[in-house]
Amino acid sequence: MTYFFQLVVSGIVVGSIYALAAIGFVLIYKSSRVLNLAHGQLIAAGAYITYTLTVYCHIPIYVSFVLSMILTFFLAMSVERIFLRRLIGEPIISVIMVTIGLMSIIDGVIYLTPFGSENLSFPSFMPSQPVVFQGIYISYTQLAGVLITFLLIGVFSWFFRKSTVGISMRAVSDDQMASMSIGISVPRVFGLAWATAGLTAAAAGGILGNIVGLNFDTLHAFGIIVFPVVILGGLDSLPGAVVAGIIMGLIQQFASGYLDGNWGLSGTASLLPYIVLLVILLFKPHGLFGTHEIERV
Amino acid sequence: MKTKKISIWMIVAAVALMLAAPGSSTAGEVYKTALSLAITGPTSDAGNPYSKGAEDYFRYVNDMKLLGDDTIECTIRDDKYETAITKRNFEEFLDMGIVFYLNYSTGSTLALKRDFDEVKMPTLPASFHAGNIEGSDYIFLPIASYSAQNIGLAEYVVDHHEGGTPKVAMYVHPSAFGREPVKDIEKAIEAGLDIELVETVEHGQDLDVTAMIQRWRSKGVAYVISQTVQSPVATMLKGAKNMDLVAKHFGEKGKMTFLGAHYTGGNDLIALAGDAAENFFWTTSYIVTSEPGAGAEAQLALAQRYGRDEKTANSHNYANGIMVAQVTTEVIRRAKAKGKPVNKENLYQELLEMNGMNAFYPVTTVGPVTYSKDDHQGVDTLQLYVVDDGEFRAEGKPFISEYAEKIK
Repeated sequence: MTYFFQLVVSGIVVGSIYALAAIGFVLIYKSSRVLNLAHGQLIAAGAYITYTLTVYCHIPIYVSFVLSMILTFFLAMSVERIFLRRLIGEPIISVIMVTIGLMSIIDGVIYLTPFGSENLSFPSFMPSQPVVFQGIYISYTQLAGVLITFLLIGVFSWFFRKSTVGISMRAVSDDQMASMSIGISVPRVFGLAWATAGLTAAAAGGILGNIVGLNFDTLHAFGIIVFPVVILGGLDSLPGAVVAGIIMGLIQQFASGYLDGNWGLSGTASLLPYIVLLVILLFKPHGLFGTHEIERV
Repeated sequence: MKTKKISIWMIVAAVALMLAAPGSSTAGEVYKTALSLAITGPTSDAGNPYSKGAEDYFRYVNDMKLLGDDTIECTIRDDKYETAITKRNFEEFLDMGIVFYLNYSTGSTLALKRDFDEVKMPTLPASFHAGNIEGSDYIFLPIASYSAQNIGLAEYVVDHHEGGTPKVAMYVHPSAFGREPVKDIEKAIEAGLDIELVETVEHGQDLDVTAMIQRWRSKGVAYVISQTVQSPVATMLKGAKNMDLVAKHFGEKGKMTFLGAHYTGGNDLIALAGDAAENFFWTTSYIVTSEPGAGAEAQLALAQRYGRDEKTANSHNYANGIMVAQVTTEVIRRAKAKGKPVNKENLYQELLEMNGMNAFYPVTTVGPVTYSKDDHQGVDTLQLYVVDDGEFRAEGKPFISEYAEKIK
């Protein structure tokens, strides 16, 4: 039974990091209907900013983590302002193509720095001994990752439900024309969505970097790995991203724990989430919590 | 007086014309070679220092006039780890008239294998995949294949394990690069290598390996041999350390000893895994700068001469790049010494004759480079290293895998 609960805990840990990374996609899609394919690059940028502040500027890592979120907030806001603002009203496919271009640009910029081709790790700042409860292991880094994820999810839930800006963002997501008619600045909402997505990307990058180390390939690939989570959750649903993240994390851990290595199976932990995704989409094409839009002709 | 002036001017003009004349003996020959590799993109953590190693050594050859007035011109191009770009680069290199080619990845080497043979281009890849040289006359691995490295590690486990047959798991890259050595270890087991291969795991982008490690523990796995790159190994080591399962010395009872082949180790692994990398056993045919010696000194001096940073200077992939440039230079030197034209046919012949008394001893490897018609693996010798206090230290003497020879 201990083994089962260990898999549950590991699944929640992995799933909550997926959820945190997926939130960035959802925030942008929710407000602007754009899939930001450069989200993995923002995750990597956030991780490297945290590293730079910690190692080169000698700022305590906790402070660097927060500063990195703030800096990435403004970085993503600038990206939206420079590259995407002028595409408002253009076909969505054009905007998605711009995010692909953005992906290459950020890749190129990071490859110009030593980070692009170096392997690094954050200085140790957590106890190296894990937390052990009834034979179940969880490292302090993972624990911190889960706590930060749930804290941010809580903050965002409040933000979208209670704050004026959050409600404006939801309104823009529902109907841009109607939102403009009541005085909401749609461009401002788009900018804010990108900025907030940047903030979550930096948080995900910092946590990921602490868990797997800083390798650019691994970090930016995470933006693609987390994509099934976004689809499963329903593209425009924050709770969907969280639930789907944890479902994916649990599926991976159970596949790894019970299927891999038995009956000649291997690699099911990587494959099974996609199979589950396809099966769920057969029955719920908009994902678990996605908005089911009905178009009347 | 006027006649004397004219004569002087005529002499000056004649000398100037002589110096400017094409093919003049003082200008020297230029031998064109090329390298296509991932300076950016996936695996650029290895490709970047590799390219610098090759570039620096060729500069050194030219600066120090190691080939007299002749020079080597090595065109280095980034292929971003994309085979289509490698192919395009290679075709452009052919148009430039290269006489020797340095390739990089397993995928592109396998994809271009026929091209190399068709144009009879002697080629040294950075990939040590045994399949690269199967059915190819013109590809030469710089060092022992991944299969030989993994079998060598398994042999070390057998020789140093106490009590019964050691239980081993393999943790491999989901590609030909990772899979081929598993097949060869299975062949070695059939040939009598006394290990029990409990499980082979092809990793994904895992964030947590707790389930895998616990499963291995429940199956009694004591040794894990990795054939992949550093990043997944670092995640695995961190996970195992988290569960206090990393052996503090080789074969510690109730714990796991982690081992890996060339691209799993080096300073990048320590950078990623931190203290979780302690007691990681790693094999390669290259020297490391954390072990004092002539090779380490030469590597560091070359890096210093060309202003490389400390990380590059100490990278085993920098040594890797230097070594392939050394082999290239050596075959050119030998062809020249024999008065043969430096072309791809003659350089190929020089590679085939690089054995016995003609073996080549670059200081960057732990053994000699030997090639022949039947032997396309350069350095057969391997050295085991272990991470001790954040640095790789040599463990025992260099060795040659016995079963790798047996299953050939």
